[in-house]
Amino acid sequence: MYSDLLNALPEVFGLANFLAVIIGVIAGIVVGAMPGLSATMAISVLVPFTFGLEPLVALGLMAGIYNGAMYGGAIPAVLLRIPGTPAAVATTFDGYPMAQKGEGGFALQVAVVSSSIGGIASAFALMLLAPPLSRVTLLFGPAEVFWVAVFGLASIIFLLGGSPVKGLISACFGVFVSVIGSDPIFGSDRFTFGKLELLDGISIVILLVGLYALPPVIDLLETPLKTGVSEDKLGTEPIWKALPRMKGFWKTWLRGSFIGIWIGILPGAGGSMAAFMSYNEARRASKHPERWGEGEAEGVAAAETANNADTASALIPALTLGIPGTAVAAVMLGGLLVHGLQPGPMLFRDNPDVVFGFMWQFLFGAILLVLLGGSLATNSFARLLNLPRPLLGSIIIVLMLIGVYSIHGRMFDVYLMLGFGAVGWVMDKLKFPLPPVVLGLILGAFAEENLRLALRIGRGDWSVLFRNTTSLVLVALTIAVIVGPGLKQRILDARKARRQA
Amino acid sequence: MLKLIQKGALAGAMILAAGAALAEYPEKPIEVIVGYSAGGGTDVMARTAAPFIEKYLGSGASLVVKNMPGASGQIGVTEVAGAKPDGYTIGTFNLPGMMARTIDREAGYDRESFTYLANVVNDPNVIVTSKGSGLDTMEKLIAAAKEDPGAITVGMSSLGGDDHFALIKLEGLTETEFTIVPFKGSAPARTALMGGHVAMGILNISEVASFQDELNVLGVATEERSDFAPDLPTFREQGIDLINGSMRGFVAPAGLPEDVVAKLDDAFEQMAGDPEFLKAMADTANPIEVVTGDDFKQLTSDLYDLANKVWQETPWN
Repeated sequence: MYSDLLNALPEVFGLANFLAVIIGVIAGIVVGAMPGLSATMAISVLVPFTFGLEPLVALGLMAGIYNGAMYGGAIPAVLLRIPGTPAAVATTFDGYPMAQKGEGGFALQVAVVSSSIGGIASAFALMLLAPPLSRVTLLFGPAEVFWVAVFGLASIIFLLGGSPVKGLISACFGVFVSVIGSDPIFGSDRFTFGKLELLDGISIVILLVGLYALPPVIDLLETPLKTGVSEDKLGTEPIWKALPRMKGFWKTWLRGSFIGIWIGILPGAGGSMAAFMSYNEARRASKHPERWGEGEAEGVAAAETANNADTASALIPALTLGIPGTAVAAVMLGGLLVHGLQPGPMLFRDNPDVVFGFMWQFLFGAILLVLLGGSLATNSFARLLNLPRPLLGSIIIVLMLIGVYSIHGRMFDVYLMLGFGAVGWVMDKLKFPLPPVVLGLILGAFAEENLRLALRIGRGDWSVLFRNTTSLVLVALTIAVIVGPGLKQRILDARKARRQA
Repeated sequence: MLKLIQKGALAGAMILAAGAALAEYPEKPIEVIVGYSAGGGTDVMARTAAPFIEKYLGSGASLVVKNMPGASGQIGVTEVAGAKPDGYTIGTFNLPGMMARTIDREAGYDRESFTYLANVVNDPNVIVTSKGSGLDTMEKLIAAAKEDPGAITVGMSSLGGDDHFALIKLEGLTETEFTIVPFKGSAPARTALMGGHVAMGILNISEVASFQDELNVLGVATEERSDFAPDLPTFREQGIDLINGSMRGFVAPAGLPEDVVAKLDDAFEQMAGDPEFLKAMADTANPIEVVTGDDFKQLTSDLYDLANKVWQETPWN
């Protein structure tokens, strides 16, 4: 198997194949950086065109776009507090405060280096460990996947800080949105009001763009006309000067890569959950957690490492089992089918050149990210802040409208997005956290579907949820997440009281 | 006299014009509406077939595939049903799903809404069991199902689809009862089977072709053995008269001009015999079974009646 890996290498360095990766990375960064446009969309637009292309050219473009977009999403997240992709939500926590403090350039450099490291780790996992890791995926049946979703929801509500009650309300709103559409088991309509457009549920991109992009744009337009952040306030410096400042991050990088790869091989959860979990874990391990959320560079590193570390690993279940780990991987699977590459154990035997070539392209995509991403972001996108605010606001609104319209090519989605924008603006003013809404939508649907499948398998017996070790470990983790913070506080209080006494 | 000549000339010109229009169909690009996103099985079929249809329609015909995904293909097929019947809009059609949707919900079309061009793919159902279940023959499976009705969990891609109808048929033929676990699509169902989370699965042969070492494939629901797995016995050989599958083809709006229908039918029939086309479909794991015109309409009607019968007896929502 590993000799196949090496045999595939020369093809990858063919001019057209390598150029495809480079173009893909640049296109991905640009698409990811634009609020409203996502990697999923860019790749689904690309799939029909790839019919006429050589497989490795087509796959190289996709690999590049995927890697590029996962980092590109960080650019508006840092500069404007608007995550360019769902996975970049956690990047806003510390990235935006950094930009406010005049460290935006450094934040972007941390993001690009971390993204690249995550992507490289993930590509290695895909290249070397795909078959054994796909065995892990098999351990997760409906009951186990249900607990993964519950664990994800619990950690976002209870660990992100702030008021758990408000977090819970936000998450409930997200879960409610996930209920809209056809019932996952019976297919009957729920809250669709007879609209075919709502039958498939509400796309995460519509919700994200409305909730996250519209309120900041309104803020932009509310504040009076003034010139933006000046060049020196952005804090741009060459990347080799920035690198030494990141030397303490290796633990965060390692942890983020591990979490990202792990979440990637579980079906459905995807980049946003990886980024949140990595952020949480890194904060917990930090010596000064109180600084997090106020511009801690390590927070950006944690989120960006993990959301790139799930890119290639999400393809492990996609290639070996035909079940994609993320929405982007699902679209890429379509791109593979177009070229007659059927997922499954035979894929690696029948088409080693293409499959292993594709894996190499992932690796090179991740490496190219540092070279292309650093300068592209700091030299062009970061200058966005110098634009007059009304102009910047208008550009973002146009991009949002185009992006949302192009998902399915219908105005209905645009109106829906504007509606979510209004909700997001109110939530922002009332200080309700937005991340639980996003995860509520993603994980709520996931939890419901799998709970119901598990109960059908158990023929209505709830004990099916606790029948094996994998489930029990996940239950224990969930309980730890819920009672952990309160318990820790109580122990600290008790210690303090004892000391005082 | 002059008037008469004028009239005659006008009539002649009109006949000529009409004749020219006939000769020239298609004189502009034909839109093929696919109700699923690019890269899915139906999309791949449409895009693989398009160049062959272009070739056999001749006169510089061009087909443009337009994806209108959503609502399990319903948005696309509703669009086709409502399109102008001029031959410039055709669409993909899936059976029995498209007919089942007219029964389990309000649909913007029915079986009379279409001109039936050709069914192209027939992907037969297979019954598979997980390696760990120990149920490696149909006999053992049926015996186990009879011993404890409902104890065997069956993973499939959805309710109201071909796999669901196959199971209903099996239950009727063997007087057994199973517990249905409808996943979202066949790949998750197959994965749950491989992980041993469900005991049995009903899938399509193209979906298990490359997983034969990981699963027990017990039989195929065709009249004769499938080219995809020549070693796999049919259910008929095993004494169960189960024939069922998932079909994909092409339809146009009802009321298409006869000459256009004739041209399209002809093109589809020629395509069905083209070895290059057959190879392209085999490469993308699509078992071919071309049924054109009235036979296709009859097939649709039969499947509608079956779906309706199942719905009356055991509604799924």
